[in-house]
Amino acid sequence: MNLAMLFTSPRLNWLGLFARLTLGGVLFIAGALKVTTPYKAAAAMRAYELLPINIANLFGYALPWFELGLGALLILGVATRLSAFFAGSLMIVFILAISSAWARGLSIDCGCFGGGGQVAPGETNYLQEILRDFGLALLAVYLYWRPHTKWALEPGSR
Amino acid sequence: MVNNKGKSSGDPITRWLVIGMVALVVVVGAGISIFNNSSKKTAVLPSAASVKDGYGIVFNGDLTPVIDVWEDFQCPSCKVFESTNGAALKALAVEKKAKIVFHPLSFLGPESVYAANGAACAADQGKFLEYNAFMYANQPAENSGAWSNEGVIATAAAAGVTGAEFETCVNKGKYADWVGNVGSEGSKQNVNSTPTVFINGKEIDRASGAYYSAPEFMKLLVAAGIK
Repeated sequence: MNLAMLFTSPRLNWLGLFARLTLGGVLFIAGALKVTTPYKAAAAMRAYELLPINIANLFGYALPWFELGLGALLILGVATRLSAFFAGSLMIVFILAISSAWARGLSIDCGCFGGGGQVAPGETNYLQEILRDFGLALLAVYLYWRPHTKWALEPGSR
Repeated sequence: MVNNKGKSSGDPITRWLVIGMVALVVVVGAGISIFNNSSKKTAVLPSAASVKDGYGIVFNGDLTPVIDVWEDFQCPSCKVFESTNGAALKALAVEKKAKIVFHPLSFLGPESVYAANGAACAADQGKFLEYNAFMYANQPAENSGAWSNEGVIATAAAAGVTGAEFETCVNKGKYADWVGNVGSEGSKQNVNSTPTVFINGKEIDRASGAYYSAPEFMKLLVAAGIK
């Protein structure tokens, strides 16, 4: 099997399906858990102390919907490459924000799946949160590189 | 065919239909979230509420020091705060020793909204403090169905808040928009958890233990000039 065959191997389509459903599933669930509690989502966003309060509030209200939408596209397998680009960018932003909170000595929960805000100094999970988002970013990179996946609504997904 | 080597990328109509629908849901949903969490100028305010005090229910508006209390009727920590320091706050309000502003938040769900609306209705009857203390003392499990409008009326009746006007106010959700405005103000003032209490605009440090210790809380009040 040469390299060219590897690229077109149907087996890779299954790997793509795994990447799509994992990345899309996590995004969809993360969005769904937060979309019904906008006040908490905005509070979690403010807790990073990175944005002016009113901007953080707007992002806090809007982000769960954006995650929900990206997750839906990935799960359905439509515009996989474009969705993977946005999902990967989002993960990089999350990693930077969490790292920044860590570096500044804040004690917050990432608020990724609801919750968020201040926690006791010993209860932060920055490393786990960063590693998880890094793993998801790798899946996004894979899907961007090879958006062709099994069981996609749009088989030749761009 | 799994390997779609041609230039075709599936059915473009499906692609754009799905992208369009998803984008529509995202934009409309985000728009609703932003709209629901922004202040509504048309909101009916309870008579004791003051816009410049963040829509809070104000006691002794012209006194100092100023104590701002941000709580959610369904929040268990707020119940502990109330059982620890509620009586002291009530005494300050009744004995006119401080300005106290209550901000009932509602981020724990619909039953918080009913309870907060009821608080405004009780304030109109001059019974906010009674209602406040009794609701926290009899706090049910979060969103268990206990605090429907009927539940709020029944609980308030046990606290001595009764009357046709009060019941109509609760049942109509007269102050539901005001409840939303209080929440929006909480976001603007960076209230990230409940209870959050400010004394003269300074947030009480959680590490001080004052939220859940009456002597520590009293120390802060004395430091703020209360005898």
